[in-house]
Amino acid sequence: MKHNEIPPGSLTLLILRTLARHGTLHGYEIAESILRASDNVLEVEEGSLYPALQKMLVNNWVKAEWGVTKGNRRARYYQLTAAGRKQLAAESSNFERVYSAITRVLQTA
Amino acid sequence: MSILRRIQMLLHRERFDSELEEEMRLHMDLREEEQRAAGITPEEARRRSRRDFGNPTVLRERSHAAWGWGWLESLMQDIQYALRSMMHAKALTLMALLSLSLGIGANVAIFSFLDALVLRSLPVTKPAELVMLGKGDDAGVTDDYGSTTLYSYPFFREFRKSNTVFSDVAAVMSFGSEMHGTLDSRDSMQKLTGDTVSGTFFSTLAVDPVLGRFFRDEEDRVEGKSPVVVISYAFWQSEFQGTPDILNHTVKLADTTFNIIGVAPPGFFGIEVGHAPDFWVPMAMMQSLPSHHKGYADGFFQSNYVFGRLKPGVTRAQAEAETNLLYQHIMRSFPNGDWNAYNLSHLQNAHVSLTNLSTGRSFLRNTFSDPLKILMGVAALVLLITCANIANLLLARATTRTHEFAVRQAFGAQRLRLIRQLLTESLLLSVAGAVLGVILALASDRLLLRMISGGPDANLLPLDISLNVRLLTFTLFATVGTAILFGLMPALRASRVAVNEGLKESRRSNSNARSPLGKGLVIAQIALSLVLSVASVLFLRTLLNLTRVDTGFPRNSVLFVDVDSSVLGMKGDDPRMVAMFQEIEQRVASLPQVKGASFAAFTFAQGSWNGSMNVPGMPFKENTYVRHNVVGDGYFNTMQMPLLAGRGFGPQDTASSHKVVVLSESLARDFFPSGVSAVGRHIFLGKDPKPEKDLEVIGIVRDVKFESVDESKVYIDYYPNAQHPWGYGRLVVRYDGNFAPMSAAVQNTIHSVNRNLVIDHVTTLDRVIANTMVNQTLMAQLSTAFGLLAVLLSAIGIYGLMSYLVGQRTGEIGIRMALGASHTGVRWMVMREITMLVVSGVAAGIVLTLLCGQLVRNLLYGIAPSEPLSLIVGIALLTTIALAAGYVPARRASRVNPMQALRYE
Repeated sequence: MKHNEIPPGSLTLLILRTLARHGTLHGYEIAESILRASDNVLEVEEGSLYPALQKMLVNNWVKAEWGVTKGNRRARYYQLTAAGRKQLAAESSNFERVYSAITRVLQTA
Repeated sequence: MSILRRIQMLLHRERFDSELEEEMRLHMDLREEEQRAAGITPEEARRRSRRDFGNPTVLRERSHAAWGWGWLESLMQDIQYALRSMMHAKALTLMALLSLSLGIGANVAIFSFLDALVLRSLPVTKPAELVMLGKGDDAGVTDDYGSTTLYSYPFFREFRKSNTVFSDVAAVMSFGSEMHGTLDSRDSMQKLTGDTVSGTFFSTLAVDPVLGRFFRDEEDRVEGKSPVVVISYAFWQSEFQGTPDILNHTVKLADTTFNIIGVAPPGFFGIEVGHAPDFWVPMAMMQSLPSHHKGYADGFFQSNYVFGRLKPGVTRAQAEAETNLLYQHIMRSFPNGDWNAYNLSHLQNAHVSLTNLSTGRSFLRNTFSDPLKILMGVAALVLLITCANIANLLLARATTRTHEFAVRQAFGAQRLRLIRQLLTESLLLSVAGAVLGVILALASDRLLLRMISGGPDANLLPLDISLNVRLLTFTLFATVGTAILFGLMPALRASRVAVNEGLKESRRSNSNARSPLGKGLVIAQIALSLVLSVASVLFLRTLLNLTRVDTGFPRNSVLFVDVDSSVLGMKGDDPRMVAMFQEIEQRVASLPQVKGASFAAFTFAQGSWNGSMNVPGMPFKENTYVRHNVVGDGYFNTMQMPLLAGRGFGPQDTASSHKVVVLSESLARDFFPSGVSAVGRHIFLGKDPKPEKDLEVIGIVRDVKFESVDESKVYIDYYPNAQHPWGYGRLVVRYDGNFAPMSAAVQNTIHSVNRNLVIDHVTTLDRVIANTMVNQTLMAQLSTAFGLLAVLLSAIGIYGLMSYLVGQRTGEIGIRMALGASHTGVRWMVMREITMLVVSGVAAGIVLTLLCGQLVRNLLYGIAPSEPLSLIVGIALLTTIALAAGYVPARRASRVNPMQALRYE
């Protein structure tokens, strides 16, 4: 296994966080951004980004618009919505709670 | 909002797919570029980018799933698969579709009538608040004390003023809607239907005019003052082509020109289902109408239905209590009341019950609601048989598909998914069947309406039997219910596959070979078919019995000519009218090939005028009514009713001679002391021996049927028109030869006497009699059709099951024959099995038939539901057909070539 898999369910959180930080990105940029931000530790299983983005579109957490890349190709750019920001806050605090709980368990062990 | 986006996605799927495709391609391309920039060979870069990305098809499916349409996609798959598998088994599909469309179509057709006649609410505001005084079970005019169905107009006025329980009250005259009149200044009169109503009629029903206005109360306050009418929407459209200046048009009735002041909303017909008037006229104008009724101010001219709208919060019981208090009080306040002890006790004992009017009143409902309910049950049974039949076919097919299911389960298909797949197939079948069925129902509805309306020459009844939401809901439930009924069992059975065994036994499976489930279904089919066959035999014999009833007169070669003499503007008792009627009778009677001609107030099934009779020296018969008839001198001769004693009417019976009467045979027998002839004795018309009501009995005629063929004994007395002038409406002619030339000759003769007489309609006595049996004819024809359908379906069921079983046992039979079994022996072996099925089915059917018998008792005539002959005929019919259906596979079994059969093994 070449890459480190991300924990299940946290992909949405990662996408939300990435979009919150960078504003407007297309799919490849999101994947790259996650990879870079995690010092190449976390690599999104590339294709699965897209079903996740579709689900977020359905839930109105992100909105999408077609634009042009630097290389002059058509790309779909994603952006957080107000609902997305709210979801990010909720998922972050949830993640913090679970993560610190796991950490506590590991430390006491 | 999310659902809107999801629907958008569904509608723009192709764009969605291509955009996703483009997005994912961009991703892979960028990755590839990046890899290449890092110095990897182009091929390798391309390979890696594809590998790392994952399976695009799977990703696309997961993206679709994100939108929540996964179920729809798998449904589409199921449907495609189902279509393919239906096409694969063409004979089965065709058979199932045919029987389903017949089964569902029959149900939809019958239900649409049940809905129109019995279930549907009146198209007015809050129909549930409407109640009617009394049961609305009579029509006409009565001066009886204690009438709780029909009320006078003064009663309605007083009642409306005094009550505190109704927000409004209205009255509508119970009879006399048919008349002739002229629209604007057109050349000729035409037949019109107009209801006479109180000024509060529309406001009580709370409907709004589409044009103009409805009546004002003051237009109904002063007799003869406001000649206004409101017309129906349909009449506006058909007679005035929906002209917008309709309020400038008029309708002339008798001598009065009525202004059209408004148009009722589409679909509005008042309160009588199956009666759609062209117009409504206020009660205050009743005397200006062609019938010239004088009852506007008479408290005992009781001719109206009265209904009201309950105030919010008032219960029907409260309203009924107050209504009865007011009823007793108001009736006594009329100055022309004759308050002897007899009348008073009748009034005191009268109780007005309030009847729910939310579905309206209907003369048709009384006649047809029982038959329709029974037919609905019959249609449901047919559908059940259909279900059993298809379930059986599917079971057999499921067995042959064992291999397919085993393979699919081996590849990991879940059982639930297989069941869903099979149910989709069933649902698809039943939806297709339902679509065909609804088309069939719409076509047969026209036919049924024709039948109910009384044959090919009658006007169609104004019943709305078009498709509606309720009907479609019913169809939907019937369809889904049917699919589950016939599909679930085979689906459960088929999906319960032991994979290993299913795969091993590639061609046939023994697990279902003896098929107890299939046999059970066939037995049920036979049992239900027996119920339906016996029912159809019973109804056919009822019809036969009715046509054989002795009506008291020969039925054929009698013409009824309906004339409207009210258009002449003279009262019936005008001597000119009496003379005119006589002249017509004489001239028509002298036509060649005419054996007799006479007017009559009431011919067969034309209604009646009833009263009591006082025979001096005999105890008064309470509640025994005599039907009065006014006839021309030649009536008995025309109808060929033999005189049993005395004489008939002649020229000596004039307005000034002593009043005479002819009695019917049983009237003379039952009202007079035994052994005493009534001829020559005197009687009084009514209860009291008033001298002016004294009548001398001059003759006795044979009993005849008066209102229906299946009525029990009725008492009739006859009066000569010269002494009791009647504004006749029907001429009776007995003739030889053909209908058409005779009808023309009679009409010409009538017009030669008076050019202005309007001739409405010419029909024959036997057609009129047939119309009174519409009900029984309908039952006989439809139950026979359904019964035959049921038997046919069962035969197919037996044939299908036995063919299948024989097919399964080819090997076994081959061995038996190789071991020396004869053809006959094998045939018997199979026939024994079939016979067992039929006998069990018939036995269960007999029990069911006897249980259901009571339901149809009231619809039968001259025959009991448990009558053995009908049962035997039903059993014989069913057994013959069932055994014939089974014989074919049995013969095929006996023709099995042992060598071939064994080679199969």
